Amino acid sequence: MHKSWMKRQSRLGYLFIGPNMIGVLLFFIIPAVYSFYLMFTDYKFMSPETNFVGLDNIRRMMNDDLFGVALRNTFVFLLAVPISMGLAFIVAVALNKSVYWQKTLRALYFMPYITSGVAIAFVWMLLFQPSSGPINGFLRGIGITNPPGWLSTTEWSMYAIDIIWIWFMLGYNMIIYLAALQEIPEELVEAARIDGARPWQTIRQVIWPLVSPTTFLLLITGLIMTIKNFGIIQAITQGGPGNSTTVLSLFIYQNAFRYYEMGYAAAISWALFAIIMIFTVLQWLGQKRWVHY
Amino acid sequence: MTQIRKIILTLLMSGFALLMIMPFIWMISTSFKSPADVFTYPIQWIPSSLNWEHHIKVWSGANTFATYYLNSLKISLISTIGAVFLSAFAAYGFARIQFKGRETLFLIYLSMMMVPPQVLFVPKFLMFEWVGIYNTHWALILPGMFTIFGVFMLRQFFLSVPSEISEAAFIDGAGHLRIFFRLILPLAKPALATLAIIDFSWHWNDYENALVFLIDKDLYTVPLGLQNFILENNVDYNGMMAAATAGIIPMIIVFLVGQHYIIQGVAGSAVKG
Repeated sequence: MHKSWMKRQSRLGYLFIGPNMIGVLLFFIIPAVYSFYLMFTDYKFMSPETNFVGLDNIRRMMNDDLFGVALRNTFVFLLAVPISMGLAFIVAVALNKSVYWQKTLRALYFMPYITSGVAIAFVWMLLFQPSSGPINGFLRGIGITNPPGWLSTTEWSMYAIDIIWIWFMLGYNMIIYLAALQEIPEELVEAARIDGARPWQTIRQVIWPLVSPTTFLLLITGLIMTIKNFGIIQAITQGGPGNSTTVLSLFIYQNAFRYYEMGYAAAISWALFAIIMIFTVLQWLGQKRWVHY
Repeated sequence: MTQIRKIILTLLMSGFALLMIMPFIWMISTSFKSPADVFTYPIQWIPSSLNWEHHIKVWSGANTFATYYLNSLKISLISTIGAVFLSAFAAYGFARIQFKGRETLFLIYLSMMMVPPQVLFVPKFLMFEWVGIYNTHWALILPGMFTIFGVFMLRQFFLSVPSEISEAAFIDGAGHLRIFFRLILPLAKPALATLAIIDFSWHWNDYENALVFLIDKDLYTVPLGLQNFILENNVDYNGMMAAATAGIIPMIIVFLVGQHYIIQGVAGSAVKG
């Protein structure tokens, strides 16, 4: 009796999950397995034959100067994550209670995140225009005679991308911080005030520690989200000038679909996976700590 | 005293918010300027005369935003409807039915979220070419109907529905299918709406997949169309901003309509992990 009930339950379970599982199998699991195989081949698009090359692609990656450049650029790109979070925290604290027009302001800060896409990339491209763009116009206006060349120079291009990314992520980080702030019991903040803490002290010594689990979560998920992204960079600079904005994820795309080095691209994409894996493990370890704060 | 502080803080935060949306304001204003006024400094926020010609250029000609809109709308709508329905089904299975291998399966789902899209691009490209859907809208629609995030989000919601509700229905003789359609789905309307809006915005803004899987210009979605317009008109700054405006407006409308759901969905998904 019980056994047949269990069997029926299992059948029903698969009936419900089945349709979705087919898609996940087709569009996630099989491609992932196939990509793992490609990593060990010299597969090129349109090439007559494909050979098994063992670890050649991984060796090539280790010796590829461009891989090193891409890795370095990726780390510069990742700088945007903590900076954006810091600004978002300040905005979230300010917007949590003590302002008028809360809802409207939240929506305005969140706007860039929802309008993601190449459109904003092109707007920023013009804003950053070195000789006559509004940003450098402003900088000259406040007395900086030699403002940076931004996207047109190898020294500044990655930082210009960082600024766009900070702007883009700020609203998202703010919303998550707001959700965390609303969980903080009113009494704790009240108690600190009664004890004579100044607003700044309350923020530093009461609120900031209490949202530290959120900070950790945002940091790790932000790093993962950023490391996967290449759309904005592809749209604005295609990795240039030189290779100054070629990040790892863009490097993979270029190898696969510009040079058709698909085996090599597969190898780099698994390197990217390894980095994401490290962040995920960190997050998992952190999660254990933040359950009982 | 606190009143004054509140006003000062409001003004301060409004100023910063204005700075945040300034790129959008500049974009719209530039799209109406004459070419000579694009880079005048101090910035001309209100164009001296309204030039509609740039917007007309974007919406007419060989490849227009009308085509891109239709393509994007088709892909986003079908993908989203499919994704919401398929996710709801799977999420119910994971949340409400005890069966063998459930935990393992869920773990596999979890691990797939870590795989970066770059890992999947090349195999998907080869697969789509093999079945003959490369460079068709199906290459975006079919994978778009499966979202692991959606399964997670809805599973979370279904878990929060008290089990007494379905137990009472079980006693009345209802099966899982009936409970799913008659009880859980109606209860989950806000969660379904949240997923639908977030998912729609992802599909609408998706540039990377379109870049990899579409070639023909008449198949282009809005992000690709925008890129194409800018490649072909790279000195026409006013036109570029008119095109960017066309690319952004639909999402701003969706956002204004579904603001509550979007913000709630984003906050809920991250805080709950």
